[in-house]
Amino acid sequence: MSETGSPPRAILRDSHASRLIQAVAGLLDRPMAWIQRAVGGRGMAYVFLAPNILFFGLFVFLPIGINMAMSLTGGTNLFLSERPFIGGDHYRGLMQCGSYLDPASCREDHFWKGVSNTLKFTLFQMVAMVGTALVTALVLNRKIRGRGFFRAVYFFPVLLSPVVVALIWKWILQRDGLLNGAITLAGGEKILFFVEPGWAMFWAVFVSVWAHMGFYTLILLAGLQAIPADLYEAAEMDGTKPMRVLTRITLPLLWPNLVVVLVLVLIKAVQTFDEVFVLTGGGPGTATLMVVQYIYETAFANQVQNFGLAAAASMLLGSLLFALTMLQLWIARRKAA
Amino acid sequence: MAGLVLKGIGKSFGPVEVLRGIDLEVANGEFVVFVGPSGCGKSTLLRVIAGLEEVTAGTIRIDDEDVTGQRAAERGLAMVFQSYALYPHMSVYRNIAFALENMRLPPAEIEARVRRAATMLRLTDYLDRKPGALSGGQRQRVAIGRAVVRDPKIFLFDEPLSNLDAELRVATRKELAGLHAEIGGTMIYVTHDQVEAMTLANRIVVLNKGRIEQVGTPLDLYNRPANLFVAGFIGSPRMNFIRGRVGPEGRLVTPDGKVTLPLPPGLAAAGEVTLGIRPEHVAPCSAGEADARIAVELVEQLGSESYLYGTLADGTALTLRSPLEDPARRGEDVPVRFDPARLHLFDAAGLAIRP
Ligand SMILES: Nc1ncnc2c1ncn2[C@@H]1O[C@H](COP(=O)(O)OP(=O)(O)OP(=O)(O)O)[C@@H](O)[C@H]1O
Ligand SMILES: [Mg+2]
Repeated sequence: MSETGSPPRAILRDSHASRLIQAVAGLLDRPMAWIQRAVGGRGMAYVFLAPNILFFGLFVFLPIGINMAMSLTGGTNLFLSERPFIGGDHYRGLMQCGSYLDPASCREDHFWKGVSNTLKFTLFQMVAMVGTALVTALVLNRKIRGRGFFRAVYFFPVLLSPVVVALIWKWILQRDGLLNGAITLAGGEKILFFVEPGWAMFWAVFVSVWAHMGFYTLILLAGLQAIPADLYEAAEMDGTKPMRVLTRITLPLLWPNLVVVLVLVLIKAVQTFDEVFVLTGGGPGTATLMVVQYIYETAFANQVQNFGLAAAASMLLGSLLFALTMLQLWIARRKAA
Repeated sequence: MAGLVLKGIGKSFGPVEVLRGIDLEVANGEFVVFVGPSGCGKSTLLRVIAGLEEVTAGTIRIDDEDVTGQRAAERGLAMVFQSYALYPHMSVYRNIAFALENMRLPPAEIEARVRRAATMLRLTDYLDRKPGALSGGQRQRVAIGRAVVRDPKIFLFDEPLSNLDAELRVATRKELAGLHAEIGGTMIYVTHDQVEAMTLANRIVVLNKGRIEQVGTPLDLYNRPANLFVAGFIGSPRMNFIRGRVGPEGRLVTPDGKVTLPLPPGLAAAGEVTLGIRPEHVAPCSAGEADARIAVELVEQLGSESYLYGTLADGTALTLRSPLEDPARRGEDVPVRFDPARLHLFDAAGLAIRP
């Protein structure tokens, strides 16, 4: 036991980097000791927390508060002091529908179109993302040649900025793009991917899966590798067929990671904006318009900038995300227990 | 009928040769124990038999069928892993039933078999628990239960007791012996604990550096070790070895000539030899009947017996066991006698010289 404890410390003591760190940290000793004398041992905890709380308050809590206030006030002025209080009018406006099943019957038809598109997108994307990430992780978990290479390849798109991803695929998919070039070469007819609503939604899902799958693959791969190898040997001794090993051993033991991935994918999908916006512009028509794009356009891109309405929509989206995040935390905590 | 026949088994991991030329026959119902120092290839040999590792040479036959190319799942063997390898997400019941479900036995039959195994292993109260909520000994029994229900052709155990504390290990050892007596299966058991080997085995296979050094009953190995390695490995504390050459009067003379010792009677030996004698076969005696004297360096009093660690006049270390409490003190010079019937002699190559 003591052996496991001592070598890291020895490394820490001996490496040059750590000596440098210690030297720098040494400079802080005196001021820290001075502060601690002033605020006491308990107070020190708050001193250390302060920078983060300040940052968070300034860039998260304060904006949420302002957003809230925006959503309850009307007019086109950006300054709260100049905006008249109108109560829940924006919320009521958003909710005003002939039938909730038909976006066109709503006062804010684009909002509801966005909701329905986002739901569709989220559903397709979750299935496709979790499915491909799972299969990829299962394959990469085997002892195949060039495993490290493939892991890097699948992870690489995660490092790209969403706009770059969208531009790459736009270049491939546009009317005279790479894919249509290949189709024409093969003797086929050009397909106008961004003109047909079905294709546009398909590629929106496809591109976002392509871009983010590597990240979820990595999480699942970590989960797979945490399953002890001897369980598979025991299963082999027990005469278990490969499919049954997958369904009775691998998937149940991977389940906690799968749930985490599912919830993360869900949270990300609901917020989808930049990739799809750059790729399709929400079109054709409103076929791939997402809720976030509606919010963005209502506040900043439309002729009349309706900050209040956009703020109300983002409050609704925000509360949904809050609920999902709570769900994720609850699951993560249950997993730890 | 031979249950298991290994012929010329070799196993390499890349350039590393871990097993070479292993020939072994295990009869049905036999309890065979593999012992040997760490890294000698015991686990590898067991995994080769199980089918979890492919051989690089040789053939494996089980019940007269060549299974060399078969996967582990097809061989019908059961293995108890050192780590137990219980399925953490399944209840004890499901763990034990899993293999039976794989065989698609009727549910009533599965239930009956699991209950029977659980009763035998005193697990009936824990069937609904997950392995995480069991003690080490209970997990151990679940692992055994998982093997027992399948009624396998051969049971394979890889150091199944090494994660238990000393007391539980002794208790479980006895249970295993009882289990073997009760169900009478063929069992192959890996351990590096020679007490486990001596107490459990019908036959012991001593492995060293990927080879079999000797196969025999526990007492065979104790009384007639085939070579220096087995002589030194079986028995605790280990056998004393005194190197020298056969002198003019048929006695052993150490290289510096300071010590002469009797040789076992009736052996034709000459040249460089090693004399072996176990600590329990050396005894303190009166000065008159002494074969040698040792300078005591350490005395261990265990109550029921004591061990004296010392050196002969030429500096060779010698350990002896003395009954009950021994009054000897560190630094004393003690006359000792060697039991002539218990002397072992090995030639320059380390092989036992036999009449
Ligand atoms: N997968 C592997 N790849 C390479 N070498 C291996 C592999 N498995 C085992 N070895 C080597 O084979 C040798 C025998 O290993 P094995 O596990 O059979 O030893 P053992 O007798 O069971 O030892 P222990 O008592 O420590 O369990 C060791 O030197 C080990 O390093
Ligand atoms: Mg081993």
